Amino acid sequence: MTSFIKMLGLIAALAFPVASHAEMLAMPETEVVLTVSGIISHSNVDDTAQFDMQMLTDLDVTTFETTTIWTDGVQAFEGVALNVLMDKLGVTEGTILASAINDYTVEIPVTDAVEGGPVVAYKLNGGIMSVRDKGPLWLVYPYDDSADYRTEVVYAHSIWQLDRMEIVE
Amino acid sequence: MAVPDERRWLRAGYAALAGIPLIGIVFFLGFSVVQDLENLNSAHSDNVQWTLSQTEVEFLEFSKQLSLSTGGDATDLQLLRRRFDVFYSRVNILESATVYRPLVENEIYAEALTALRAFLDETVSLIDADDDVLRAELATLEAKVASSRSAARTVANVALEFFARQADQRRRDLAQTLIKLASFVAALIAALAITVFYLRRLNLQRAAQQLEAEEAAARMDTVIQTSLDGVIVANENGQILAFNAAAETIFGHQADDVLGQQLGPLIVPDHLLDAHDAGMARMRAGGEKRVVGKGRVQLEAKHKTGTTFPVELAIQTAETTEGTIFIAFLRDISVAVAAEKDLTVARDQALAADRLKTEFLATMSHEIRTPLNGLLGNLSLLSDTRLNPNQLRYARNMETSGDLLLQHISDVLDLSRYDVGHAELRSDPLNVASIVQSIVDSQAGLAANNNTTIEWGWVGTPSNWVRSDQDALQHILINLVGNAVKFTRDGKVVITVEAKKIDSDRANFVFRVQDTGQGMDADLQGRIFDDFVTGTVAYDRDVGGTGLGLGIVRRSVAALNGQIEVESAPDMGSTFEVSLPLTITDAVPELPQTEHSAKPMFGLRILIVEDNRINRMVAHEMLVADGHSVEEAHDGLAAVEMAADIPFDLILMDISMPVMDGRAATRAIRQGGGICADTPIIALTANAMASEQAAFLEDGMNGVLIKPLSQNALRWAIEDIAVKSIEADVTEPETAHRNEMREILGEETYQVMIARFCAEVDELHAWLLSDLRPEPSEIATRCHKVAGSAGTFSVDAYRKALLSIEDAQKAEDFAAMNDGIARLEQVWQDARMAL
Repeated sequence: MTSFIKMLGLIAALAFPVASHAEMLAMPETEVVLTVSGIISHSNVDDTAQFDMQMLTDLDVTTFETTTIWTDGVQAFEGVALNVLMDKLGVTEGTILASAINDYTVEIPVTDAVEGGPVVAYKLNGGIMSVRDKGPLWLVYPYDDSADYRTEVVYAHSIWQLDRMEIVE
Repeated sequence: MAVPDERRWLRAGYAALAGIPLIGIVFFLGFSVVQDLENLNSAHSDNVQWTLSQTEVEFLEFSKQLSLSTGGDATDLQLLRRRFDVFYSRVNILESATVYRPLVENEIYAEALTALRAFLDETVSLIDADDDVLRAELATLEAKVASSRSAARTVANVALEFFARQADQRRRDLAQTLIKLASFVAALIAALAITVFYLRRLNLQRAAQQLEAEEAAARMDTVIQTSLDGVIVANENGQILAFNAAAETIFGHQADDVLGQQLGPLIVPDHLLDAHDAGMARMRAGGEKRVVGKGRVQLEAKHKTGTTFPVELAIQTAETTEGTIFIAFLRDISVAVAAEKDLTVARDQALAADRLKTEFLATMSHEIRTPLNGLLGNLSLLSDTRLNPNQLRYARNMETSGDLLLQHISDVLDLSRYDVGHAELRSDPLNVASIVQSIVDSQAGLAANNNTTIEWGWVGTPSNWVRSDQDALQHILINLVGNAVKFTRDGKVVITVEAKKIDSDRANFVFRVQDTGQGMDADLQGRIFDDFVTGTVAYDRDVGGTGLGLGIVRRSVAALNGQIEVESAPDMGSTFEVSLPLTITDAVPELPQTEHSAKPMFGLRILIVEDNRINRMVAHEMLVADGHSVEEAHDGLAAVEMAADIPFDLILMDISMPVMDGRAATRAIRQGGGICADTPIIALTANAMASEQAAFLEDGMNGVLIKPLSQNALRWAIEDIAVKSIEADVTEPETAHRNEMREILGEETYQVMIARFCAEVDELHAWLLSDLRPEPSEIATRCHKVAGSAGTFSVDAYRKALLSIEDAQKAEDFAAMNDGIARLEQVWQDARMAL
């Protein structure tokens, strides 16, 4: 019986090679905080990939400290790196249209999602961010790490109260 | 205009230095611009302003949702809450973001922001309340929103204006920086232009200098290339830098082939290469310079073909930017060296030829003398035999010819003796007057034959006694007088002597020989003292001669530190004048010479050692005639063997012989310890040189007889040496010896001989004590002779007294001699008692 299941798993693995490095997306169980639509390889609700906070925190965690122009003093961010998220969704190219609660939208090339680059932060200084405090999700860059991240474009990309992403060509 | 290089470069340096701060400023400004641009680039202003304006937008969104939510629908309320939260977050950002901090200083802004905070604080509890409460309070909320709208607008407006101003200021700053940058860039360009200008000028000057240098180099190159000496320039490592045309000719290398190559292997001979390398290494190490800077040095060099040749060279160093260089000037001196060598060889050959000539003369005269001795000896023996008048005349003629020949040979020997430098002059007291007189006497007969008178006399005060070499002086005068007599027919020969005082004991003696003969022309006068000059053919036929006479005279005069001159004209006669510096001495008693007659000893056993058969025979005959017993040896070795066994009384030893010569034989006999080890040995030699005779005596010989032998000389030597020696050997009592004699001779004969001896002694004493003043040499001679007889009869004390007189004369101790003479009679009286 167990060997049969193993056999099935092996067949599934051979049939859907993408699934081999990106686990199938779970279903959101609490309030959805991020919805990704467009050209994605994995979805869970219709054609979209929907994440509750638990699903995001389950992904590889990235933490870093930086100052920002919108805050006072060094801030400690915790979240999922944009490249990890794109990887999770099997996205390798195109443009990310990121939108905030107030429908503010910016265009971010998928190529910007690199290791050590932008992070979808869900914790600031150890606590969950409320909407009143630019939460619940804030796309931040390690501004202090590189002058390249202290440009107007990057500041514009640093979208807070993030709740949607659409991957387009 | 000659601005020194340094100053020009200094100016260019200053220009460049002035550029340095300009460049610094430009860099600084450039950096500012970059920073400003970066600021602009990373300026948060756009986003910041957008965020500010967004605050009002969010406020309006919230306000709009509020009016839509008046129905109290739950979804609307939810949306309303969302709008509130977004607005709330905006205000939070305004309050906390650092970029907005400066805004707080604006009172209007601060007031408006405070108003917004107050609005939020008042409304947040309503929003956070449940739907019912919120729904009930919507109207209240709307009123509060309406009252806060102006605050939201004010915050946006004031902030926008502030940031607009800030952006303006930043743009102005940038503009100003850019202007500054532009002006400094302009200044820098100006400085660069000046520098370029200077550099260009320098470049032109340099070009001119280079041209000048090139011209100088070209001139120098021409000088070097046309130099007759080879010029080679090399660097410290021995690489050739220059090689001129003369060097090409000297060494056979082409300059193009050798430039850059190692100097050593090319031109230094292989056997000197190590020394060359060592020298170069030493100089590189800063060590001693052995050739460099030492002026002209002569060394060997190597041609391209590998042959070596001598060169003269001088090397100097010069310091250049590329290090020390060596400049060598070389000259091929093969020709000079070869010429010098030829000259040396020629000189050596000439010297050798001259030596050969002298040796030839000496040898030939010796070789001629030996057979001549035989001839004359035999003639002498022949004359003693019974001859008819014709035969006697022929024999006399032959003797005359032989004597003349002997004289010629002696001349040649004298000549070579002077030339070789063996002439040894004595310094004996002699009487000038008697010498001149005897010469005049000897020539008088010949002069009479030519119907010529001959006379002599003093000019000024006579000064008879001088010290000189009698032989040399006699030789000079005999030659001059003889010549004068020879060349004068029916005329007159006058000899004068003049003593010109130099100081108290020295005078210049001028001997003048004047004749009225045929005379000489100027040409002959110039050559007359040369060797082998014999005047005209007619003259030759007339008088004959070797032509050596005056040559020897010249040498003799020179040997006596004198001078000789001739004055003559054809048919007007000749005058020869000899001046000699001579030492004046006291008069020595002078007596007319008496004929020397040796009294023969007899009965001696004599060995003749002589390789020449005829000479041996002559000597043999002479000795046998005197009653000696004779044995013969043909060479030195035979003599040594015979002398070992036979007790000879005397050995006559020829010098040059085959197998073993006389000197070696003498040494062998003396050192051999044989029976004749102490027997007297007399040398027989034709070699008359005094230095050699001294050598014979050193070999152990007791005397020297010059060939040709004469009976008298032989007797004299036997008496002198053999008897003396025999007596010395006889140490037994005198009476025993006399008794022996008595036995051998017989009483009668012995007594006759005793009587004869006593008569001889008496005659001597009478002569010595007579009023005549005998000449010292004559006294010595006669004493010697009687001493010989005294030896025979073993009257030793008397013999010694006689010999002491002889010794005193020889030592020229005349006081001791006179003393000896005075005591002689007493000694004789004592000795006579014993007989």
